[in-house]
Amino acid sequence: METLTFWQSLIIALWVAAIMSRAFLGGATLTLRFSPLMTGLVVGIVMGHVAEAMIITAAIQLIYMGVFSPGGTMPSEPSIAAAIAVPVAILGNLKPEAAIAVAVPVGLLGAYLYQFRFFINTFLGKITDRAVEKLDDGAITRSIVLYPVIASFILFVPLVFIALYFGAPVIADVIKALEGTVVFHILEVIGGGLAAIGIATTIYVIGRREYIVFFLLAFFMSVIFASLKITMVTYAILGALIAAIFVLVKSSNNRTASTNANDASGFDDDDDDF
Amino acid sequence: MQDKGNKLPNASGSNLEPEQITSKDVSKSYIRWHFANEIPHSFDRYLAASLLWAMMPILRKLYKDDEALRAAYKRQLLFFNTQLTWGGGIITGLMSSMEQERAREEYNREEIKMTDDLMYNTKAGLMGALAGIGDSIDSGTIQYIFIAIAIPWAQHGSALGALFPFVCFATYQVLIGLFFARQGFTRGRNATTLMQSSGIQNIIDLLSILGLFMMGILAGNYVKVSSSLTFHLSGREFNIQETLNSILPGMLPLAVVLGVYWYYTKKGLKVTRALIWLTVILGVLAAVRIL
Repeated sequence: METLTFWQSLIIALWVAAIMSRAFLGGATLTLRFSPLMTGLVVGIVMGHVAEAMIITAAIQLIYMGVFSPGGTMPSEPSIAAAIAVPVAILGNLKPEAAIAVAVPVGLLGAYLYQFRFFINTFLGKITDRAVEKLDDGAITRSIVLYPVIASFILFVPLVFIALYFGAPVIADVIKALEGTVVFHILEVIGGGLAAIGIATTIYVIGRREYIVFFLLAFFMSVIFASLKITMVTYAILGALIAAIFVLVKSSNNRTASTNANDASGFDDDDDDF
Repeated sequence: MQDKGNKLPNASGSNLEPEQITSKDVSKSYIRWHFANEIPHSFDRYLAASLLWAMMPILRKLYKDDEALRAAYKRQLLFFNTQLTWGGGIITGLMSSMEQERAREEYNREEIKMTDDLMYNTKAGLMGALAGIGDSIDSGTIQYIFIAIAIPWAQHGSALGALFPFVCFATYQVLIGLFFARQGFTRGRNATTLMQSSGIQNIIDLLSILGLFMMGILAGNYVKVSSSLTFHLSGREFNIQETLNSILPGMLPLAVVLGVYWYYTKKGLKVTRALIWLTVILGVLAAVRIL
């Protein structure tokens, strides 16, 4: 079986570390980390198989639809998952669904690795304190930006490199052996259901329990109209219009309600979960 | 008020006068926050170090006295955790305005009304609420609208499927963050009332509904749960999924999403635990071929 070269493994490992250190373009790492798409593209370019990489990454993206990190905790690391799963799938000539079988466990392990970064930074914070005492801006900058970035690279580069350089061909073999067994069926079912986590999290964080009717409306619309292949942009415009109509009606109701004090409807009571 | 910051050495001499803070300074401050954001994330202070790093040039301009500057640095290095653009934007702008007021009071040796407590309470009061809105609208909804648009391109093997959502979302975040930072600065302390104004409330309502609507679309398209259970009854084969479809299509995916949501309402937002439970339940049901 084909393997990744030293340089291919190293470049992918450096890319992952650049994202996970949160340093590459700063705030832009948010979507680089939440979504496997860009990492999949980089893997595709490095391996010279952009089209295959994108098809596989799209399948991985589907299981992470809606994933984000409320309050900083994230159950899974989609970009690390893609960094390992996409090369494995390309090397082993696996179906995109098989890549999910690799992505799910790798993503979970990646989440623990990311937490470890906070632990290191807690110690680096002591350097910040000392630098603030001395009002040394250069030292403050080094302790806030440079050292945490170096620490993340030391943490992520060797691990991702080893996983790719030595691990990828082995994992591909294992997955190939599992194809057609019940294990594979289990992983496919889990992969199909996992998007529910991100979606439910978003609904909960938005926190408007009384507005859940809009979720249900959209859900049944998309199920009923599935065969019409309506695009996301169309749905987004439709959703914005429905929301705008609701807000217009509600605010004009509020205006009549203010003249007509007793008229406040139950719909306006915001009993948020927060 | 018993703030430590009040005990300051005499601000004497015109060279100690605070410089004027412009909206350009605030934009620079926000860009520094946007860059440092999650880099020094730690267990004890979370993102406090990033806020300090963002505010440093402004604090240097405002406090020409070492003691006062050190106190200001420490003020902005207290526990802080919020979301990148809504929370980070409004709060960097607001802190710039509040520090400017504080520096002016100290320079004129007025009674300090802009106390450490007032500044920290304002920050702490806003960071959680803004993070909730910012996370669900930016990361949860707008990001996934871009991704959902691009997925079909990715499925056809096009690099645009990755580049489009990345470029759009990253640009959107810089722009909206800068907007909030400037708003926070110009409104100053009124920024706390900004969130209560009916215009902002309507926008939050609109975006919340759009968010929930798009979650419904995503759930309908991308949550795939179906039963593979079939059994033979007097020689005929019964397929459970076909029966379910004839009653209500999409019943199982909807049940899974609402099940996870119900778990959160009972147990709080325990995402990792929900993920592990769902994996186990789906795994077991798949192993016995119910799913």
